[in-house]
Amino acid sequence: MIWELIICGVATIAFAIIFNIPYQLLWMIGLIGITSWSVFSFLPVTGVGPVPAAAVAAFTSALISHWCARKKRVPVTTFTIPGIIPLVPGGRAYETMLAFVQGDYVEGLAQTAGTLLQAGAIAGGLAFALSIFSIGRGVGQRYETNR
Amino acid sequence: MTTKNDRLIELCLTAGKLMLMYGAETYRVEDTMKRMAVAGGMRDVNSFVTTTGIFLSGMLDDDDDVMQMIRIVDRFQDLSKVTEVNHLSREFVSGSMTIQEARAELKRIEKQPMNYPLWLIYLASAVGGGAFSYLIGNSMFDMLPASIGGLVSTLALVLFQHYLQAKFFSEYLAAFFGGITALILVHSGFGTNLDQIIIGSVIPLVPGVPLTNSVRDLMAGDLISGLARGAEAALTSLSIAAGVATAVSLFIS
Repeated sequence: MIWELIICGVATIAFAIIFNIPYQLLWMIGLIGITSWSVFSFLPVTGVGPVPAAAVAAFTSALISHWCARKKRVPVTTFTIPGIIPLVPGGRAYETMLAFVQGDYVEGLAQTAGTLLQAGAIAGGLAFALSIFSIGRGVGQRYETNR
Repeated sequence: MTTKNDRLIELCLTAGKLMLMYGAETYRVEDTMKRMAVAGGMRDVNSFVTTTGIFLSGMLDDDDDVMQMIRIVDRFQDLSKVTEVNHLSREFVSGSMTIQEARAELKRIEKQPMNYPLWLIYLASAVGGGAFSYLIGNSMFDMLPASIGGLVSTLALVLFQHYLQAKFFSEYLAAFFGGITALILVHSGFGTNLDQIIIGSVIPLVPGVPLTNSVRDLMAGDLISGLARGAEAALTSLSIAAGVATAVSLFIS
């Protein structure tokens, strides 16, 4: 378990280097990656499916990223982009591709739905954290209540 | 023409161009340009940014309307430059920097090489591929072939983007070569868990910047750039999947 967390931190820092993030921030990104991975791997133990787990993990990591970005006065994408990399549904995307290559279209469509749902859950988690941090600064919608 | 105003507009446009080119989200580019223009003395400033172009309009102190645009062709991922331009714009807006100083600083940021040398990025993609493959497959022995595959796919990506200058095709070819490397390693007995090794090989190619920026743009109400970036991310993912699919079907048949 500890070993897995260390490897996850190393993976996140490696991706931060791939995205050319300033080196002073690398250790924080490693911690964010470890947090999101531990949420993502701990929630299924308690009986939550992988899709809600991905949403909660993305939400947690985005929340910490926003807080760190406020502290360090850097754009928040510096933290969120590598922070969600451990959640990317690589295994499911591979299963999807393999099913289509082998001509098993029904299985391929089922895996496509799973992959898209997990990607959408990550996006939803990100968007939710963003909404919390942009309360009062958002765009107008539907009714002009402040007149 | 008043040269001071020209310099101010050029400064704002260059800052916006650098931020957009190196992977900042649309909302941040618009906001930065607007704040810098207002701090430099423009009135009625409007900025409109899409994924491929920047527009800036405003009224100068001699009641002179200006409107300029810049076309952005290349899009790289270098978030340290975004951070530096962001920092510079904060200093310029707070007034601790003149237009000349800010211009010189922007020129320096534009000219300077990448934050990390290329060999470190190759090394990082090898390490990242190997480590990520462990998270998926839980097999310690297969981390080494996965990192070799990750190294090959990033090497191929940089090589093809330099010589072919074709965005989605070079990602397809990079995923193809990464997948071929993984398959050859597994078939020659060097590695057991094929799916883990293939995923580790192509994971350094994941389009993280357009994926995240798409969500942020859509939530900020910049629907055009959000959809455009989402399409870019989807096309990149599809080319990677097609590259791996080509490699796998070569070996299956």
